[in-house]
Amino acid sequence: MALSRRTGGRSRITLALLVLTSLAVLTLDFRDAAVVRTARNAAGAVFSPLKGVGEAVSEPFTNAWHGITNFGDVQSENDRLRERIAELEGEEVLNADAAQQLEELTAQLDLPWIGTITPVRARMVAGPASNFAETIDIGKGSSDGIKVGMPVVNGAGLVGKVVQVSDRRSTVQLITDPGFAVGVRLPGGLTGTARGQGRAKELIVDTNIVPDGDDIPKAGTAMVTSGIAHSAFPADIPVARVKETREAGGGLTVELVVRPMADTERLAFVTVLLWEPG
Amino acid sequence: MTPAGPAIVAVRTSLILAIALTFQLGIAPRFGLFGVHGDLMLLVAISAGVAAGPDRGATIAFAAGLAYDLNLQMPFGLSALTYALVAYGVGLLQHSVLRAAWWIPVGTAAAASVVGVILYGVFGTVVGEDLVSQSLLKIALVVGLLNAIAAPVVVPAMRWATGAADGARTRAVYR
Repeated sequence: MALSRRTGGRSRITLALLVLTSLAVLTLDFRDAAVVRTARNAAGAVFSPLKGVGEAVSEPFTNAWHGITNFGDVQSENDRLRERIAELEGEEVLNADAAQQLEELTAQLDLPWIGTITPVRARMVAGPASNFAETIDIGKGSSDGIKVGMPVVNGAGLVGKVVQVSDRRSTVQLITDPGFAVGVRLPGGLTGTARGQGRAKELIVDTNIVPDGDDIPKAGTAMVTSGIAHSAFPADIPVARVKETREAGGGLTVELVVRPMADTERLAFVTVLLWEPG
Repeated sequence: MTPAGPAIVAVRTSLILAIALTFQLGIAPRFGLFGVHGDLMLLVAISAGVAAGPDRGATIAFAAGLAYDLNLQMPFGLSALTYALVAYGVGLLQHSVLRAAWWIPVGTAAAASVVGVILYGVFGTVVGEDLVSQSLLKIALVVGLLNAIAAPVVVPAMRWATGAADGARTRAVYR
């Protein structure tokens, strides 16, 4: 059945209105309007408990699904583990292994760059809600003192920052998110801005270094948060290591392709630093 | 059977949207394939186009997108814009389909999901999110597959919510 001319005209008007409304809403978001922030916070508060219920209900099915979809991985993991058990049998290394794991965990708890900042350890409870969002949810929220904008780290370095908080849950924007930017400092005092480029991609650091300068950092050079005045992050948190350098800005400057210290694909626990920009 | 009134349709549709959003936020991220998970809200939008036509379908899809956007750290309104356009297109297509074979909604869900994901990536890139990459096609194809699997449940649910099922039954009775 074809659309009548009258119905077709009405539906085109409806579509035009919806498109215009979408553009208006996008504009409001870009201008960081308070109404959008308030609506997002309200939605977060409403759906946060429902997410938890959904996760709890789906837990057995999730395990079954992972068993089906990662069958090959599970099989090879089983083979690897059997081999490992065979190696360990007859040896008194289990205690030593446990001690080593404890040492690694302790090292993560005792983050040297924290200083006097109060840390809050949190478990990751959910991955990104969309295939395009570079966020994770953690199981601690405002009741633990967490606020929007606080830095999130793990044993390796900067993981991201808190972008949404409800009572017992927070959303963390990962360092790899295309909207994420952090001021960094390299050895020798060079500074730049590291920007996320998307899932499983390296970050790009904009700098003022000239291509024929002597101060071009070598591959493997580490960088930390700059912590300059009004910075969104405290100083000296490890961020990334240089992978390669390339010309940018029409050959006038150098940009750095850097690999994040923290592996954002494999996060189980993170630490939120109860720190706010001064 | 008497077709459902506007108030009942609104309540049913809101219920379906709330259930779908809970699934999308709490459950869908845990059921991935090749690191990609299904986009249930996009499927709801497509189902709205299938069940309610371009006009009402686009409106329901817009509401679904807006609700989803509220819970994402992505540009607010991006899903609403994409879903409304996809549902409108599906609604137009649905009006020109004469046969009502079982596989048509499934095929429509798969194809429209691929188009919807690519459209989202393109619009996202236009507003500065840089979403068009090599992985976009992979995401689109996997979402298309997962949404096609879920379509036999979601499309009838949306038909019930919008009263399309009642209407079809009534027409069948009067014939």
